[in-house]
This record gives sequence, structure tokens and C-alpha cells, in this order.
Amino acid sequence: MATTAPAEAGTVTAPARPRRASAQGWISRWLPALPLLVVIGGLLLAPALLLVVQSFVGTNGLTLDLWTRVLSSELNQQAILTSVVLGVACATIATIVGAPMAWLISRMFAKSRAGWLALLNVAANFGGIGLAFAYIAVLGTQGMITLGLQGLGIGFVPPRPSSFIGLLAAYSYTNIPLFVLLTIPAMGILRSEWWEAAQTASATRWQFWRMIGIPVLSPFIAGGWLLIFTWSIGIYGIAYGLAGGGGAAAISLITLQIGNILGTDVFGAGRAAVLAVLLMAMATASLIVYRWLLRRALRWL
Amino acid sequence: MTTARVAPAPIARPRERRIGTRLFFLVAAIYFILPLVAVLIFTFAGRWTANILPDSYTLDWWKQAIGNPELVGSFSTSIVLATGTAILDILFVVPAAYWARVRNRRLRPIIELGAAIPFCLPYIVIAFGILQLSGIVVPGLQGTFLLLMLGHTAIAFPFVYWAVDAAMSAAGVERLSEAAEACGATPFQIVRRVIVPNITPGLVTGSILAFATSFGEFAMAQVVGRGLRTVPIWSAEALRSYISAPGTFNQLAVITFITFALLFVLSAIIVYWNRNQTLRLLPGAAAVAETERG
Amino acid sequence: MSSGVSLQDVRKSFGSVHALDGVSLEIESGELIALLGPSGCGKTTLLRSVAGLEQPDGGRILIGDRDVTGVPTRERPIGMVFQSYALFPNMTVRQNIAFPLTVRKRPTAEIKARSDEMLELVNLVPQAARYPNQISGGQAQRAALGRALAPAPDVLLLDEPLSALDALVRTRLRDEIRRVQQLVKTTAIYVTHDQSEAMAIADRVAVMNHGRVEQIAAPPELYETPATQFSATFVGSRNALELPVRDGRVSLGEAFSVPAPAGSSRAVVFFRPEDVEVGLNGVGLPATVEFKIFLGATSRLHLVTDSDGQEARFYADLPSRRAVALVPGARVSVRVEPTDVRAFPAGG
Repeated sequence: MATTAPAEAGTVTAPARPRRASAQGWISRWLPALPLLVVIGGLLLAPALLLVVQSFVGTNGLTLDLWTRVLSSELNQQAILTSVVLGVACATIATIVGAPMAWLISRMFAKSRAGWLALLNVAANFGGIGLAFAYIAVLGTQGMITLGLQGLGIGFVPPRPSSFIGLLAAYSYTNIPLFVLLTIPAMGILRSEWWEAAQTASATRWQFWRMIGIPVLSPFIAGGWLLIFTWSIGIYGIAYGLAGGGGAAAISLITLQIGNILGTDVFGAGRAAVLAVLLMAMATASLIVYRWLLRRALRWL
Repeated sequence: MTTARVAPAPIARPRERRIGTRLFFLVAAIYFILPLVAVLIFTFAGRWTANILPDSYTLDWWKQAIGNPELVGSFSTSIVLATGTAILDILFVVPAAYWARVRNRRLRPIIELGAAIPFCLPYIVIAFGILQLSGIVVPGLQGTFLLLMLGHTAIAFPFVYWAVDAAMSAAGVERLSEAAEACGATPFQIVRRVIVPNITPGLVTGSILAFATSFGEFAMAQVVGRGLRTVPIWSAEALRSYISAPGTFNQLAVITFITFALLFVLSAIIVYWNRNQTLRLLPGAAAVAETERG
Repeated sequence: MSSGVSLQDVRKSFGSVHALDGVSLEIESGELIALLGPSGCGKTTLLRSVAGLEQPDGGRILIGDRDVTGVPTRERPIGMVFQSYALFPNMTVRQNIAFPLTVRKRPTAEIKARSDEMLELVNLVPQAARYPNQISGGQAQRAALGRALAPAPDVLLLDEPLSALDALVRTRLRDEIRRVQQLVKTTAIYVTHDQSEAMAIADRVAVMNHGRVEQIAAPPELYETPATQFSATFVGSRNALELPVRDGRVSLGEAFSVPAPAGSSRAVVFFRPEDVEVGLNGVGLPATVEFKIFLGATSRLHLVTDSDGQEARFYADLPSRRAVALVPGARVSVRVEPTDVRAFPAGG
């Protein structure tokens, strides 16, 4: 608030700006953002909280009943375990393939870099049912590679789309590009002068990477791993396309279970809520670790 | 803190290393393009036995697809839905992002918390939550186009926010606003005449990302948009039915390929608009640092 | 152990740009030679060629007796200081300094002793355990110097080491670098675009332009007798006037008259502001003071004269005490000692 200077004799002081009524000030500070805040609050925050509440609501008030029922079911335990293992496998593959790729692409010249970025963008966004279909088109029983190899006389039996390997292969199609796109900006952190300085100090390439490159980049790579893990445990579309039909040998995942319950069981909302909150907890923990990692990485930079 | 700019360093590499790199990227290129090629071939495939290529080709599937009212209907539904999502997101995000920078610093952590939710929560979970909440609060909206569009707006907004926020940072909107205010402009005028023209890359990138997210989204469409047919919904049905209705499978190839072509064009646009800077999908180090410092 | 450096007809082109156009230079063991010139003159390319970070298209580079022309950077006996310090962010100052020894797998005791020695040498003992983002620019550059000298290289290479620093820090660090270099007697090649910096610390200065060395001389000689027009304009602040040649002489009225250089109808003359004698006694060419700029110990007068119907403008530097009475509009007379005037053919 503007303070008035003590008036000196003969001088004219500007009138102090009138204090806004606090309600009016409050509105002007928040109004333009209100639509977005309503969307965030009503369509993201509130539903999440509602699910948490619903997972604890039984017939007679708050209870852990739903949690015990859900977690003791063998089917659900299988689903949880498979989801986590699949998430870890996906994240690891995406990191092993994606990290060198991100490094190499970040070093490319503008034109080829742009070309690769466009390709990766498409692949990262090409998920859901479309990707499930594309997988079947390539490696299904009538898929292109399958028929091609059989035509060459190789008795190729492709992995079933709904199997762990099938999902892993399909998920990786979007996960690897996603990892690369997420970590390419971090690659720019390694300045070329550091490599030159290391050379003038007689370090080999491997010594540079071991002592400088990897330590500086590893928080970001680890962050990428975490993000892919979080993303993978929550994938629904691809999984539904490949394994959603059910069937005896189909894989079970938390997301598929939720979808299943919602589709078939009118009274299953509570159990689905438990599974949903479980996913939420895992993802939130993952994100907290991610923030911590980044903060640690920044202490040097 | 300097922004991470990618500087290609043309270091002379020994020949073996360059060949290894080339091979790696060749394999990667094949891996990424193969499914799309396979889908494309499926759209033209006639009889196909044990061979890498079909025995015969036909345009039938394309004709059937275009003549299939359900397919065409789902395509137009998706287009309208995705466009609406993109528009709504821009309309909601731009004022909020601008205000957070220029007038009310406390908005920033709130928006960022909100932006973290679609990354934390799988879309199926959010969809489920919206289903339950709408049942309690606005049962009349359940299963409507509007609700699904709002849901998509919510889950796509982080992409739009990061793109627009980065563009605002690059354009220095705080200084621009101060200069415009000194010239006597109202906030609305400032946004319209000064801010928006200077953040075009962010607007383009953001709206395309919102569009792409909505177009390919399945979980929410299935759970919240019950009864609505989007491309992913139609595709899922087609996938289930491919034993009983073989032709549907190839039509599915057609729509999948069209989706891919659409995505490719959109991605090319994004990369073109961002060619002078590093494309960020997520906040990344710089923005986290900015937030920490407040 | 220090060595001399020999550059023999070094050439380097980037596309159609000749960054180095046949540079030959003999640098003596233990001397600090400055490569001075404007952006794009090739000085940095030359330094990086000695380092091995650029590969010349032609010519040879020898460090001591050894031909290092094709040898990778890693195997050259050099230490390098970069403009942006290039300290490794994940290592402390001590670890940075010790890095060249660590990668050579020296025994731990030796590493500790040597890094202690370097920390003392560059006055960074209290900062030994700090990280690069916790120290100032001047401290960072000293750490970079310590790292470069830790393996006792034959040649020390410095790429505009002071450009990223504040003006005040710059002078102090410049003297630090010179002190350290004299102490360890390592041959040093120092790239800069700042001519006062080059002349303050170098044993010899090589002025470069368009990929060629225009002149190599000790600073005083360079300052007094520039060999080419480029050197004259680049080193020291000078007045430059283009004047007609008459009867083999070029003159500015009664201010000065000197023999003209052969073969041209017009000449460019250079003379330093501090060599302009300004008097009120009418001896010399009449001139008017346009304005005066106070620079502390000296003041600079902007003078305008009329000679042969042509206006000439130039500066004169005087001790401020003597310039007190010389206000804008004052009429004075100027002359310059002929030996202080250098003439070159115009258009050269």
C-alpha cells in the first residue's frame, strides 16, 4: 500500500491510493484463474478425494472392510504383483534403451534431431487401442511378422498379445519414446566444455562418464525411470486392447481389474475404489521420490 | 540458472563408433516404423497366408470404412471432442498461467499441484472418480458429451500449462506486461494484444498436445462417456469382434492408420514450432528450481 | 618441465572460411605469449589446435621436440583454462584440482600432496571443500588454473580466462595468473581480445587478424612501433587521420609534417592522444576544443582544426590539472613531434 510522505510546506503530495475492499482485492487476484481452478478442484482433486473416502466407507461408517476384502483376494494380489513387476520391467527397458538414445539424439545436428523428435512424438502419443491393434497386426497370429517368418519356413509362434511379454513389448513402444522425450532436456546439462576440460586433463572417455557424466545425469535418468514406472502401472487402453476380453490365461492388472469391476459389478464401486486408491498411493510415492531426486540433482548445478 | 540448451558438439568420432550408432538408429527406426507399415498393409490386404506380404490387395476396406456410419460417426465425435478439449484448455490455462506470473504468485504451486495429478493418477482412476462424483453432484451430466469433454480438459491441462508457461517465460511476459501497463493498457488488452501473439509456439504446442491426448484417450471415454462412441471406443469393439466380423478388423486398420497419419502431422507441427528451443514435456530441472525458489 | 611450442604453417578452414591461414610461430620455453585480436581472427582456433581440440588441415605443431599434430588431446602434455571455468559441478574444488592426477591413477598420497600444493599456489585453501556453485567467479577461475597446472604440464593454455569476470576481479586475477605463471615457469599461450590485458601480462604479444599473425613483439615495442595499420588501430588508442600526400610529405598544417610512405597519393597517419602538445602560446596549428571528457588523472579533449580548408578531428590527452582552463570553445594550438607520427599508405 502506498504510504503518504510527510507533507512539506508548500509542496503538493499525491493522494494515497484508496485501499481496495478486501473482497474486491481477493477477487481480482484470483478471478482469471478461477475456471482452471474449478476444473482442477472439481475434476481432479475432488474425485480423487472421493475415491479415498469411498474406499473406507462400509455399511456402518468408516471401516477397513473393503481393504481387507480386496487385499486378501488372490486375484487382486496377482493383479497387484503383476502390475508392479510389469511397471518395473517397462521402466528398466525404457531406461536401458532410452538413455543412450536420448544422449545420442541430443548430440545430433538440428535436422536429424528434428526428424527423430517428430518420430518419437508420434510413437509416444500412439498408445491405447490403436497400439494394441498395431501389435496384433505385427505379432498376432495373423500378424505381418508372424506370417512372414512362417512363410520363410520358421515355425514362429508369437507371444500371445495378452501375455506378460506381449504387454511388455507393446508398452515399450510408447515407453521408450516417452522416456527419451522426457530426458532429452536433461542431456543438455552436460556441457561440452566439461568433456574438453576432461580431455585436457588426460581423462579417457570412460573416465569422463564414470566420474562426471553419469553422476551428473543419473538423477535425471532415475527420474525418467520413476516416471515411466508410474505411467506404466496406470496404463489401461493398451492393456484393455490386448487383454481386456478376459479369458483364462489373460494377464491381470490393477487397471484391468478396476475396469472389470466397473463394467460388470453394480455393487463393486467400493472395491474398485480400493484398487484405485492403491494405484494413487503408489503413484504419489513415486512422484515424491522424483521431486526429491531433482532437488538433490540441483544442488550441484 | 541457465536453460539447458542442447548444443550439438561435432566431436570427431572413431569410425567404429559411428557405425555402431548408425546401426542402433537403423534398428530403432525399423522398430518404430514397422507397426505402422503393418497397419498400412492391413488396410490394403486381401487374402493373406504365410508370407511377409499379402497375396492380394484391395481397396475394399477403405471404401467400407468410409461408408461405415458408425466408424465415421466415431471419427467425427473424436474430432469434435478433441477440438473442444483443446479450445477449453487454452481458454482456461492462458489467463491462469498469465495471472500466476504477473499478479498472484501463490497461484503457481496450486496449479502445479493440480498438474501433478494426471501424472500421479491413471486416467482410469480419475475417470472412475469423476463417475462417482458426478453421480452425487450432477447426475444429469452423467454420460454426456460435456462431462467427457470437461474430463479430457482436466487431464490434458498439464501439457497445455507447461507449454504455455514455458513460452511465457521465454517471452518475458512480466516485463511486457509492465511496459504495456505503463502505456495504459487494461489486463484484457494486454493479454489479447501483447501476450497472446508472443506465446504462439506455446499455444500451438499446448493445443496440439491436448488434442492428441483427447483423441486417443480410452479409459475416460469408456467410463465417463458411457454410450458415447469415440474412435478408441469403436476400435475396442472392433478388436473384440474380429473373429465374428472379419471385415471389421481391416476397417480397424484403416482408422488406426488415419489416426497415425493425423498424429504424425500434428507432431511435425509441434517439432517445427519448437525447433529453436528444447521441447519440454514435463517441468524438468529448470522449472522445479524456479518453483523451489518461489 | 616446460617446453617451447613450435607452430609451422598451420592451416584450418571451416567451409569457405580460412580460420588459420598458414600461421608460423616459435614460442620459447617459459614465456607467456598473448594471442591478441578481434573476434574471428583465429586466435581461439589456434589455441584449440595446440590443445588438440581442433584438427588443422595443414602444417605441424610441436611441443618441445615432439610432433603432436595428430595426437589426441588426452595424450598431450598440456593444461587448459577455459573462459567459462568448466569446473566439474559434482566435485569439490580439491577434487577438481586433483582430477588430472586421479585419472592418471597416481598414488593417493601424491594426489593429496600435489593438490595441497596447488591450493596454496592459487590461494584457495579455505575453499578446498566447496562445490563450484558455492564459490565466486574469481575463485572458480583460480581453481581452474590449479587444475590445469596440477599435472605439471609442458604448456599452459588459457582461452580468454577473464572475459566472464567482473571488471574489478579481472585486474586482480590477471596479475594472479601472471604471478603463478612466473613462479612455475610454464610456457603459456594466452588468448584475449583485450589489448591492455595482453600488454599487461605477456612477454610477447602476437597480433592476429583474418587467420594470420600481423606482428609479434614485446608489449612496449608493439605499443610504440606498430608494424602494420591493423596493429596500429588495434593496440593502444590512437588518432587516425587520412591526409593527402604532397611532394612526398604528409602534414597537418603546422602541427606536424612527416615523410610520406611510398606509392600512394593519400596516407593514413596515427598518433597517440598523449603525444599531442596542446598550448595557448600560438606555436603550432590553431584548434578549437569541442568538448572535454574527465577521465580521472587525465582529461581527453576533442579538438577540431581547419587545415587546407578541411576539418580534422582528433583527441588529445592531458593531465587534468593542466586542462582545467580548457573549456569547450577555447582556442588552442597543437603540435605533434614527428617521431610520434606513423604514416601508412591509405587503403592498405
